[in-house]
Amino acid sequence: MTGVVEGGWEFVAAAYTVTAAVLAAYATSVFLRYRSEKNRAAVEARRETGR
Amino acid sequence: MITRSEILAPKVVVALGVGLLLVGSYWGLAKAPAEVFMGDVQRIMYVHVPTAWNAMLALTFAFVCALFSLFTNAWKWDNRLEAALEMGVVLSLLLCMQGAIWAKPTWGVWWDWDPRLTTTAVLVFAFGGILALRAFVDDPAKRAVWSAVACIVAFADVPIVYFSVRWWNSLHQAQSTPATVSTAFHWPLRINAFGILFLWTGLVALRARVAALRLRSEIAPPLPEAVQEGKPATPSARLSGGAR
Repeated sequence: MTGVVEGGWEFVAAAYTVTAAVLAAYATSVFLRYRSEKNRAAVEARRETGR
Repeated sequence: MITRSEILAPKVVVALGVGLLLVGSYWGLAKAPAEVFMGDVQRIMYVHVPTAWNAMLALTFAFVCALFSLFTNAWKWDNRLEAALEMGVVLSLLLCMQGAIWAKPTWGVWWDWDPRLTTTAVLVFAFGGILALRAFVDDPAKRAVWSAVACIVAFADVPIVYFSVRWWNSLHQAQSTPATVSTAFHWPLRINAFGILFLWTGLVALRARVAALRLRSEIAPPLPEAVQEGKPATPSARLSGGAR
């Protein structure tokens, strides 16, 4: 027993994986929502101008 | 009208953030030395501490947006508030997950009700609750005022989270800053901090545009069938993101 934490790379890998997964998932959701809202706005604009 | 460059800029900032995060994480995992007591487990610090700093920053930005939203009555501040709130909650949740993963090998438990962890949990629920409030209120004007007031009240927990390790006897270590960690750890810490900063500012800018587009369809909905057929229209408030 040295008082030093030995190993632990599995925890390091888990922390970096969780970070990458959460940030990537949120970024993807923002980009998808932006695309969806932009398309909806374009459809509404076309409907109004074609009236 | 949103121009092409206005959309390109957030994407460039997000890409810059991702690039910095890749460099900082490589440096932290492969180049930086192991810590003398925690060994390699300490490398979690290079993502955990920058996430904590940026969660506090995002929520502080939400607080500033809430103040501007209340005092200027401009929709753009409400859109930014929505974006910053969401980003702050995501970063705070991520912070709790990283902290639990770091706590297990060093404290022997995934979670402990110590002052820092408890106040952070309160933070997540308080700001998460404001997002839920926004989802339930249909009237955009009421939603803007209520969520701005709630945000100002909830923000009181942010300094409490920061100073909790000084004010109370906490299992959590004191704040990690360049002044309190070894110089060998500075660069990956700083690079990742700027990486997450660029990432969230880009995402908040884009998310605010999503909120603006949604708001536009809420306050100026498509004209009803009767109007489209050429019958007289009733006056409707067609606001385009200006004052409420």
